Amino acid sequence: MEPPENYSTSTSFAEPFEDAQKIILRWDSTASEEARERMIFGGDRQEVDLYLQAVDEIQRSMSSTSISPPSSHHHDQDSNSNKVNSAIQIAMARLEDEFRNILINHTSPVEVDSLFILDHAPAPASSLNHNTSSVGSSNEFDQEEVGGGGGDHVDALDPIQRADSSNSSASYRSTSSIREIDLIPQEAVADLQSIAKRMISAGYLRECIQVYGSVRKSAVDASFRRLGIEKLSIGDIQRLEWEALETKIRRWIRAAKVCVRILFASEKKLCEEIFYGIGTAIDDACFMETVKGPAIQLFNFAEAISISRRSPEKMFKILDLHDALMDLLPDIEVVFESKSADSIRVQAAEILSRLAEAARGILSEFESAVLREPSRVPVPGGTIHPLTRYVMNYISLISDYKQTLIELIMSKPSTGSRYSGDPTTPDMEFAELEGKTPLALHLIWIIVILQFNLEGKSKHYKDASLAHLFIMNNVHYIVQKIKGSPELREMIGDDYLRKLTGKFRQAATSHQRATWVSVLYCLRDEGLHVSGSFSSGVSKSALRERFKTFNAMFEEVHRTQATWLIPDSQLREELRISISEKLIPAYRSFLGRFRSHIESGKHPENYIKYSVEDLESAVLDFFEGYPVSQHLRRRSQ
Amino acid sequence: MPATEHQPSFLGRISIRRNQVTAMDGNHEQELEDLELFQRHIGDRFAELLSPPFSGESFLSISWLRKLVDVLLCCEAEFKAVLIMGRDPSQISKPPLDRSLSDYMERAVKVLDICNAVSGGVDSIRQCQKLAEIIVSALEQKPIGDGQVKRAKKALSALMSALAIDDKESNHPRYAERTWSFGRRGNNSGGNHKDRANHGSFRSLSMVVAKNWSAAKQIQAMSSNLAVPRGGESTGLVQPVYIMSNVMVFVMWALVAAIPCQERSGLLTHFQIPKQFGWAHSIIGMQEKIGEEWKKKEKKGSAGLLEEMQRMEKLGQSLIEFADGFQFPAEDEKVEEAAAQVAELAEICRRMEEGLLPLQQQIREVFHRIVRSRTEVQSVHVGR
Repeated sequence: MEPPENYSTSTSFAEPFEDAQKIILRWDSTASEEARERMIFGGDRQEVDLYLQAVDEIQRSMSSTSISPPSSHHHDQDSNSNKVNSAIQIAMARLEDEFRNILINHTSPVEVDSLFILDHAPAPASSLNHNTSSVGSSNEFDQEEVGGGGGDHVDALDPIQRADSSNSSASYRSTSSIREIDLIPQEAVADLQSIAKRMISAGYLRECIQVYGSVRKSAVDASFRRLGIEKLSIGDIQRLEWEALETKIRRWIRAAKVCVRILFASEKKLCEEIFYGIGTAIDDACFMETVKGPAIQLFNFAEAISISRRSPEKMFKILDLHDALMDLLPDIEVVFESKSADSIRVQAAEILSRLAEAARGILSEFESAVLREPSRVPVPGGTIHPLTRYVMNYISLISDYKQTLIELIMSKPSTGSRYSGDPTTPDMEFAELEGKTPLALHLIWIIVILQFNLEGKSKHYKDASLAHLFIMNNVHYIVQKIKGSPELREMIGDDYLRKLTGKFRQAATSHQRATWVSVLYCLRDEGLHVSGSFSSGVSKSALRERFKTFNAMFEEVHRTQATWLIPDSQLREELRISISEKLIPAYRSFLGRFRSHIESGKHPENYIKYSVEDLESAVLDFFEGYPVSQHLRRRSQ
Repeated sequence: MPATEHQPSFLGRISIRRNQVTAMDGNHEQELEDLELFQRHIGDRFAELLSPPFSGESFLSISWLRKLVDVLLCCEAEFKAVLIMGRDPSQISKPPLDRSLSDYMERAVKVLDICNAVSGGVDSIRQCQKLAEIIVSALEQKPIGDGQVKRAKKALSALMSALAIDDKESNHPRYAERTWSFGRRGNNSGGNHKDRANHGSFRSLSMVVAKNWSAAKQIQAMSSNLAVPRGGESTGLVQPVYIMSNVMVFVMWALVAAIPCQERSGLLTHFQIPKQFGWAHSIIGMQEKIGEEWKKKEKKGSAGLLEEMQRMEKLGQSLIEFADGFQFPAEDEKVEEAAAQVAELAEICRRMEEGLLPLQQQIREVFHRIVRSRTEVQSVHVGR
């Protein structure tokens, strides 16, 4: 506190004050046209210095008049302090305008294009990218379209889509961590600093925050719009088609990274710079003034997605959103670390938690849907049911997202107390599945209920043999899909895989038995020999019956089972071979033993219609899935 | 514990209870009793809002609104409990309950949006608070001089614009231009700057909500299908759902009336709760009161019905008069009068400082509860 000079009498009110006051009054924008038309900052540097000095002088006068001792010149003192206060106000009003002006002149929406740096670094490992090779491969891009939507159109004007189609991984790279940019050139920052300092020491803190917030807020809003962040209500989002939402989510993920790591972080830095050394409460207040609205708007979208109706197709985009937010959370904590930003940090954490819950809920929904899938129309030809394909594709995708889901799925599938003794749900013992993660248990459970559902569907086939074929086909498909994915196989485990393999083999056996037992019955020995005779007496009529029955049955089987389908070529071959192995030797031996008896009678061709070769080639028609001519090819005449 | 941590589904508890159900008749009586109690509690809670210390001056004040939201939260909690009491979950997918629940779900989405809009509105009230604080800070200094008065005048005019902007701003294309354009502003007058900047900040906050979203329309839609349940539907959940829906709509409407948020013109002022329902008496009374106030406000064109904002407006006008007629040194009488008003304004700011954030937090809690119920009902409602 410096000793003031000559303040005790009003007549010798310091000269410096008068000079300073003159300058202040000259620049009073409410008083003169000229003052309104020109700005101090942005003009002559000397003017700036003079003005600031004048302000400082006035402020000094203010503190000196306020600590003046009481004297008889009370009235004069008041009028002095009135003068001073008036000058302060005029100065502050002017500085406020200058401050606003500097901000506006150096404020332009951030060039969003420049934020998507096209560098050629490999993409960071994400749950989607299987190949970490160079960017721009269409493979990588396709992998992104997990949800099934079409590719984005390349729109030359839209920076996000441009980055998306040409270098999707590049944009991830440039926004993988906080990166502040200079929103305002350093000289301007210095000017703003010098104004802010004075406004605050004069007690005009609130005005400073107001003006700062309003200009910067507009800038952030404009950048927001360029990033394509839309304002949608929760109601709007519930009404949109999921495919449309998927695109928006993808866009949001990209935009959010830019917003948090670049936009908001840079605004924060700017506040810290301008209000450097004045106290943290002020730069926090300005920062929140600037970004609170936009931040809320940003997170409201993710929140709306996290609370939307759960259905299976949403799983993977929800997981993408979850992962993106999880990745972003530490940076959100840093950027929004002040007390006044509590609500934003809390909201982000809540959204993350809701997304996790949504993923869990969707998994449950999926399981219920698989269990209850009600279609009763049997798939023609006993081939693979669309449900099987859908489910196996879905769980393959789940295994792609294993990294995330393993953390999220924490409880075992609900097969227990609620449903015990319920005939509409399968049982599953977990005892033998020790040491498996909950996620793996869910996957196994899904396969169990899929089979359960398929069993139910198989009962709609009138032909038992076809029912078995159906089960065989579908379980085999399941096995193939598991074998085809290492992650899936690892989670399901070889024990259960063996069980499944056994299952389809058994179905194959059951199918065969159901079809061929009665056919091969025709070729048995018993009943053909005339009883009581030592000689090789054979009942010709019985024999003829046998041949006729066999032919009819075989023809029927041939006609029918040619239209049945085993899509897997290897399995098809195996089954045919297995059939041949039983059929051909039996027929050959039957022919061998009994053909002479037929050929010695009338019209042997009516009974011995087919040679062994005929049968062999007929078997090749089986399970092709399309009808063949009714007449079997006859090789031998 | 964060609000969203995984909690056991309340509807899950229904199926557990199912196994414990005894005779149907015994259960029915229990149901009726619970319903009785539920209705009585609702009636009591809302009656509190019309009696001291909440009646009289503090009607529609921040603390009154906080109590209102608190009442809503209590009712909602009891509603959940009622739903658990030995109800048969298979009823949920049958008419008429399935219909009334699906209406409830639709309404829930609107409630969520209204919560967000109202919360944004609270932020805009905070803007007014900050302007008022400037005024207080300026006029609190003694002796009041020209400088302080000019400073106060600037803030006063901004405050009055902020209080008047309210819903109308969304219809002003002018503002759009002024806030979005950049570039050299060398020849704009200082006065203009201030208005534009302040309008800009006020407007932008409310733009958190979607462009075509209208609070008035949401309320309208919510109340349009509040069908009184017919006599035969006395069992099951239809009654409680009807009651809770009415409670919800009323509270949301009161919040929207009090707090500026986007597009309230055409806000309903009359609802149709039949007077025969005992639990509804206080609610009907409050509806009438608020409806009256709203009609008055629409005529005057002033901002939200929040008591503190109304008072702020009056004080602001009075202080503007003082400021306009000010000449240094001012008469003691006038100064004293102004000082009293400034003190009152300071008190309002203090109340806002104290109460706005907790109010937002309570509204957020409503948001969480509604999200949770909605998710749980959805999970039982599968197969639609």
